[in-house]
Amino acid sequence: MHLTIDGRVVEAVPGQTVLEAARAAGIYIPALCYHPKTGKAGRCRACVVEVEGLRGLKESCALLVKDGMVVRTDTPKVLQTRRMIVELLLSEGHHNCISCQSNADCELQEMAYHLGIERPSYLVESLPTPKDMSSGGIVRDSDKCIQCGRCVVACQHGVVNQVLSFAYRGSHAQVVCDDDQPMGESTCVQCGECVQVCPVGALVLKQPLENKIRPHETTATKVTCPYCGVGCQIDLHTKDNRYAFAMAHEGQWDRQPNKGMLCVKGRFGLDYIDSPDRLRSPLVRKKGKLEKASWDEALDVVAKGLKAIQEKHGPDAVGFFTSAKVSNEENYALQRFGRALIGTNNIDHCARL
Amino acid sequence: MITKLIEKKIEKIAARYPDRRSALLPAFHLVQRESGGFVGHDHLIAIAKIIGVPVSEAYGVQTYYTMFRREPVGKYHLQVDTNIPAMLAGAEEIVTHLEQALGIQVGQTTPDKKFTLSTVECLASCGTCPVIQVNDRYYESMTKERTDALLASLRRDKMPDMPVETHFHTECNVLLARRGLPNATDIDVYLETGGFQGLERALQMSPAEVIAEVKASNIRGRGGAGFPAGVKWGFLAKDTGKPIYLVCNADEGEPGTFKDRQIMQYDPHLLIEGIVISGYAIEASLGFIYIRGEFAWIANILERALEQARNKGFLGKNILGSGFDFDIVVHLGAGAYVCGEETALIESLEGKRGNPRLKPPFPAVIGLYGSPTIVNNVETLASIPFIVERGAKAFMEFGEANNFGPKIFGISGHVNRPGVYEYPLGTPLATLLDAAGGVVGQLKAVIVGGLSVPILTAQEAEGLVMSYDDCLKKGTMLGSGGIMVLNETASIPKVALRAIRFYAHESCGQCTPCRQGSRTISELLAGIVAGRGTRKDIDLVLKLCDSIKGTTLCPTGEAFAVPIEAMVTKFRSEFESLVS
Repeated sequence: MHLTIDGRVVEAVPGQTVLEAARAAGIYIPALCYHPKTGKAGRCRACVVEVEGLRGLKESCALLVKDGMVVRTDTPKVLQTRRMIVELLLSEGHHNCISCQSNADCELQEMAYHLGIERPSYLVESLPTPKDMSSGGIVRDSDKCIQCGRCVVACQHGVVNQVLSFAYRGSHAQVVCDDDQPMGESTCVQCGECVQVCPVGALVLKQPLENKIRPHETTATKVTCPYCGVGCQIDLHTKDNRYAFAMAHEGQWDRQPNKGMLCVKGRFGLDYIDSPDRLRSPLVRKKGKLEKASWDEALDVVAKGLKAIQEKHGPDAVGFFTSAKVSNEENYALQRFGRALIGTNNIDHCARL
Repeated sequence: MITKLIEKKIEKIAARYPDRRSALLPAFHLVQRESGGFVGHDHLIAIAKIIGVPVSEAYGVQTYYTMFRREPVGKYHLQVDTNIPAMLAGAEEIVTHLEQALGIQVGQTTPDKKFTLSTVECLASCGTCPVIQVNDRYYESMTKERTDALLASLRRDKMPDMPVETHFHTECNVLLARRGLPNATDIDVYLETGGFQGLERALQMSPAEVIAEVKASNIRGRGGAGFPAGVKWGFLAKDTGKPIYLVCNADEGEPGTFKDRQIMQYDPHLLIEGIVISGYAIEASLGFIYIRGEFAWIANILERALEQARNKGFLGKNILGSGFDFDIVVHLGAGAYVCGEETALIESLEGKRGNPRLKPPFPAVIGLYGSPTIVNNVETLASIPFIVERGAKAFMEFGEANNFGPKIFGISGHVNRPGVYEYPLGTPLATLLDAAGGVVGQLKAVIVGGLSVPILTAQEAEGLVMSYDDCLKKGTMLGSGGIMVLNETASIPKVALRAIRFYAHESCGQCTPCRQGSRTISELLAGIVAGRGTRKDIDLVLKLCDSIKGTTLCPTGEAFAVPIEAMVTKFRSEFESLVS
């Protein structure tokens, strides 16, 4: 089917929303509370459009496309509404892009940029709230929260950890953990899904914040999580070829095994890549001391040792323990080695990382 | 810890609802009442566990509603309504008087833990303001002398009986017919005066015939929007395989409105009969009365009346031998104006924060527990027995085209006899003001449909006829029919500030324009009233009002943007005289 958006004929499929159809066609409609993973919410009012034949403004995140629909995203009322939304959001809390961890990775900033708003025409005075630094991996800054509710939906209905919720009412409403506990003392398991969906700088990862690395400086590489067998797709962010942080890969999220989510290990457990403690060459114990060795030398030592044990005590004196962090093929090769060459069934695997 | 007995009571409450989560608000009320006047951390965790909701959500619900407390209060919690009708009647002086008498400020508790003083939003006592709610009880028409007498009695640990003179009159004898009768809440009095004949007639008709009669009467919803009730019933999704629910909206909270209370407090069986007939018509399996939490004492009147109706066979299984099974659950709100909006009400009834839903779908398709649901106002449902018993034609003898039927007008503010007056729709405003004893002093302005409608100047109000259509024609709305009268002593900027503070307090906080817009306008108007404002601030208020209109998730944004805009535009010189 086809619809017309701002005079452009756009292709759409039944069941799509106007917002989805517009975005698929490269037409910018801001949406601060809608996220593909958390769905429509109707909270931010940023995505409103006008539709010929319908009275008033319509939320494009909730409006299903109809063949022949004529949509406008650039009428005076739509633009007036968008300006008001940005000004009101900027006037509450303390939004300061200069030192914000999410600078250049912020949907509110992007919306303000599109409208050419640098600062709001009025300010509502409010005392700054201290950041919640209590948790291991996540920093919460309620002064930057725009009450979009993505994190709440993600926590309650996405990952179903049920930690985040809206509490209080009106302009006092805020996102809390359990009954308003610091995140580090709450039942939060640090999956980081809230950070994943936050459109602004209200929920950010602690490590890059402390290392002074912002998302716009990093390169994302799609990798498969090396922990358990689910096969979660990760965007591994690096700067200067060093690990910065990890986010779930969101491209075609609904077709991925992890549906664009990660657990605490995938989110926070990959910084060992650059650890100085990590072994980078084989070590062989000589006179009670571990010394660097070449692969040939090390493999000779292993082969000799295994052979000696096998000859002296029989094959079942040897056992093999392999890892979930290596591939299925490598695991297969090792068990073949154990059974066929050594002749033992003493093979186990640490799938419980 | 929560005792086994309280846990059992919660389980018993949960069994009343199709979904046990609905018992969350009642559980908070129960634990608060029986465990020291507040619900702290341990009790919250226990409630969440019993009901089966995450602690985070239970906390979200608890902190949404102003009646639920996290901290202890004094033995007597004095809550003074300071909304506009109360303000016009001198509530501010009562607050000051209480502060002096108790030696504490609003929000504080006396050192002996006996008194806590709070200010609250409209308690629906607009005709008998100022009102002080002490714990669950209302003390109305308070003067300084009566306040002193109240305090003296409370100091002796006695909740006194303090009679109140109320003003009422009915021209129609439909909704306020039994208003002056002694013991009118008793089912025997109701039956002696012709009660339940509408139900008997309805049960001889088919549900479709009842709907047809209601449609033919053209009754428009009395909650405020004026949508034809019969048409609304017609939107019900058919053959969904799900039960149908009927919800009576008794969350009367619109400032200036105190009409539904008259029916529930003085003639509860009229409402019950209306709900049973309507439940039969729409083939509902269960009915609910969602009543505002401050009306807990009126809920007790309803509970007693429901019990009487059950005992006489007007409610429950096989009503009057017809084979129709239907019962009604009374559900208390907990202090949230927005729950008067039907989808917010449904959320609240489901045990959630009272946040309005995105529409469509409308409740008639997906409502309570995902089932087709009709939400009707108390006054609408209380009109149904008359329509069914006497016929649509008799109903249409009241009023005029497109605006038929009797209507309760609540008149408050600067009139000699504030109170409730039942007149046909289409009655001139002047007639109603006369009925209310006339204006005290000179009429300056009038808000005719509850706080959410645009104010009219005295000149604009001339010749106004109180019908949906004429109000619209004159640039305002009939709304709930709550008429607030302002004389020359009223300061419109102060009224505007009090109005926007109410909406900022009541905004659910979901959508940006309402949450932040109400707060910003509130701060701007506070600056203007305090003499710190500028002309630019006045323009900014108008700009914000204009921008907010039509952009919010529910009608609350409009409910303040339109009236504030009207106050500033029509009385701009008053605002300008305050600014530099």
